[in-house]
Amino acid sequence: MQETVRGHIHPISSLIREANRIFFDMGFTFADGPLLESEWYNFDALNFPKDHPARDMQDTFFMKDEPGYVLRTHTSAAQIRYPETQLAKGIQPPYRAVSIGKVFRNEATDITHEAEFFQIEGLAIGEDITLANLKGTLERFFRELFKGAHVEIRFRPSFFPFTEPSVEVDMRIAGEKVPEKLRDRWIEIAGAGMMHPTVIRNGGLDPDVYKGFAFGCGIDRIAILKWGIDDIRLMHSADLRFIDQF
Amino acid sequence: MKISREWLQTYFEKPLPDAATLAEALTFHAFEIESVEGDILDVKVTPNRGHDCLSHRGIVKELSAILDLPIKADSLRHPAPLEPKTEAVRVTIENPELCRRFTGAYIKGVRVGPSPEWLRVRLEAIGQRSINNVVDATNFVMLDMGQPLHAFDAGKLTHKDGAYSLNVRAAKNGEKMLGLDDKEYELAPSMLVIADGHTGEAVSIAGVKGGKPTGIDETTTEIILEAANWDGTNIRKTSQALKLRTDASDRFQQVISPELAAYGLKAATELILELASGEVAGFIDEYPRPQATNEVTLPLARANDVLGTTLSAPVIEDVFRRLDLSHMQEGDTFTINPAFERLDLVIPEDLVEEVARIVGYDKISPVELPAFPERPDVNSNFYASERARTELTAKGYSEVFTSVFADAGERVVANKVDGVRPYLRATLVDGLRDALERNARNKDLLGLKEVRIFEIGTVWKDGIERIMLGTADSGGVKEISLEPIEASTYDDLPISTTDRYHSFSKYPFIVRDIALWTPAGTEPETVLSIIRAQAGQLLVRSELFDRFEKGEKTSLAFRLVFQSFEKTLTDEEVNAVMEKVNEAVKKEGWEVR
Repeated sequence: MQETVRGHIHPISSLIREANRIFFDMGFTFADGPLLESEWYNFDALNFPKDHPARDMQDTFFMKDEPGYVLRTHTSAAQIRYPETQLAKGIQPPYRAVSIGKVFRNEATDITHEAEFFQIEGLAIGEDITLANLKGTLERFFRELFKGAHVEIRFRPSFFPFTEPSVEVDMRIAGEKVPEKLRDRWIEIAGAGMMHPTVIRNGGLDPDVYKGFAFGCGIDRIAILKWGIDDIRLMHSADLRFIDQF
Repeated sequence: MKISREWLQTYFEKPLPDAATLAEALTFHAFEIESVEGDILDVKVTPNRGHDCLSHRGIVKELSAILDLPIKADSLRHPAPLEPKTEAVRVTIENPELCRRFTGAYIKGVRVGPSPEWLRVRLEAIGQRSINNVVDATNFVMLDMGQPLHAFDAGKLTHKDGAYSLNVRAAKNGEKMLGLDDKEYELAPSMLVIADGHTGEAVSIAGVKGGKPTGIDETTTEIILEAANWDGTNIRKTSQALKLRTDASDRFQQVISPELAAYGLKAATELILELASGEVAGFIDEYPRPQATNEVTLPLARANDVLGTTLSAPVIEDVFRRLDLSHMQEGDTFTINPAFERLDLVIPEDLVEEVARIVGYDKISPVELPAFPERPDVNSNFYASERARTELTAKGYSEVFTSVFADAGERVVANKVDGVRPYLRATLVDGLRDALERNARNKDLLGLKEVRIFEIGTVWKDGIERIMLGTADSGGVKEISLEPIEASTYDDLPISTTDRYHSFSKYPFIVRDIALWTPAGTEPETVLSIIRAQAGQLLVRSELFDRFEKGEKTSLAFRLVFQSFEKTLTDEEVNAVMEKVNEAVKKEGWEVR
């Protein structure tokens, strides 16, 4: 056996590294935020009405003896936090940011469900940001991520409280190197839309002046598709039989 | 929500396309379709359209717009006057903020019996049970138009001073009611009931479930039909507290228009007269504050600015026509008066979405963002993480993620669904120690002399959330705070070049070493290829681990790891393989040490 075998970074870290590089080149700053998040940032500011069925979509972990705090159910708080941070520094839009990190869903785990997983949120805010820009940005991201393959993106109508219009994003990859399960099939890959004017306002900006797009995408899901991983629980297994393959 | 193509067809003159085509039309212009079975579509109506689309009529309107197919008659576009009124039923509402409208019809002389076949088939096709003509009529109208209704047997209510009396009030603490489902529900003051105003007895859990004692049966001859409007949040909380979800509560909790009550009542009344005969003695309508009308304005430029399109005014006008949204156009600005049931249309962006989805998102061409004027900031935490990854992997450490949930910690989750490990970890050490132990057992399989792992992860300690860097190796398990590092750009770091992940065997492995004397200059690879050829598929790992020279001879030692995907290997099975290996190497003239 060799003396010092190189260690391996986690496949999720590799994807985050790659995603950050692609977005950095498009002008996006990596913005982070807390995992234990206030209901204001996780829900209220994002236009989730209180006691509304939309909150049921989230399966939230609430904290004992800490009312008003949750384990974040998405990285979308960046839509509020990033503009706030920039404004506090006196910086006006245009803004471009990605927030990449762990999110939580309070559900039983199995081969396709994990209570802890990773998400990338992207947002661009400015006077002239359009839904066409969202499509162009996602197309470029997935093209670079699946380099060497032919990548197509399509939108379907959807609903999120924090975007209007809201879309579901499907991706189709063609190419010889593409794993068979993925090749030439439309696969749901992200939720996205134009930031709701209420969300723009809650971030401290004037929705009559500024518009923005936002998208959220599961990194574990990309990993599963890209490498043909058969069990999402491997991500948190800390098992080198898995990790050392990357 | 289950939707029947045949039911939809009743609204259209022209034949509808097949169910698969309808599913595709809805998928790309309205809602996700969970499944299509025969002529039944399972439509996933989004929460913003729960106001108007939890019904066949709602889906009809969508399809009419998407396919640009005219519908024969829209029952919600003709006034539904509730005349004549009757004094024989008196309604009082103690909580008008939670009951915006209460309409009722007093129908005498009905004959309760089985439903006609067409109605039974309709209901059963979408998984509903046929009960009797009166109850089925109320269910049909709910599934058709979206307004839940309830029928009381008037004969089982109290008649006093020439009238029946219904009272909407908060339930009393501990008050009980036997539901139509034969279950007894214990109510709380946060819930609303409809009570028999003469006796005070609860006869229905408002908007959720009717009561058994006043239910319709074959002896019923007089009914009071109720179509009301209940507060969405209140119904949602009641339904959650009682763990009782019904088709009615599902609709009320989405908030529906109080205007709809009259249309639903009228339609159900007519259907009951048709199916069970009888005559209407009169209607009641408590509607203190009618729904205000609303106007939404959309300038053409706004639509194109949001979407990044160059749609013309006639294209947008056509979308509104197809959606049957009454509109006025002044120059390039549209003013919409949404129909009462379209409670989702409030701001211009709501209309932009209508335009985009009806025109089709495929009409939006991708446009890349222009170059950003500023250089993006480098995230100092992420930079520090990346630096740590680079340094540690160079030293043979592999990166793991362990769960943030733990058996101990400072902060605890209140509602963890699986009930185990409810604490948020205050340290990475416990998770890493466990991971080290588990991986150490596999070190031969992994081809490692020593297992070295690290984790960069969040902990909650001393009241704050912080990022720690932990390492675990034969020297122990340690963690330090990850200190942010300021940088002006990210380093160019490698990413995984792996193409495919290969699942690994969950069965134990067996290790065998073999050492050979070979003539000087013998390549280990040559030996390995002979060993591998003999060992076959059970050999999952093989490598040189020792080599030394003695005179003319070279000693080569290999470590062989055997494992099956199907079962736990026995020593005997591996011995048999090793025998074949030994024979093969001896044949080459190499001496097994």
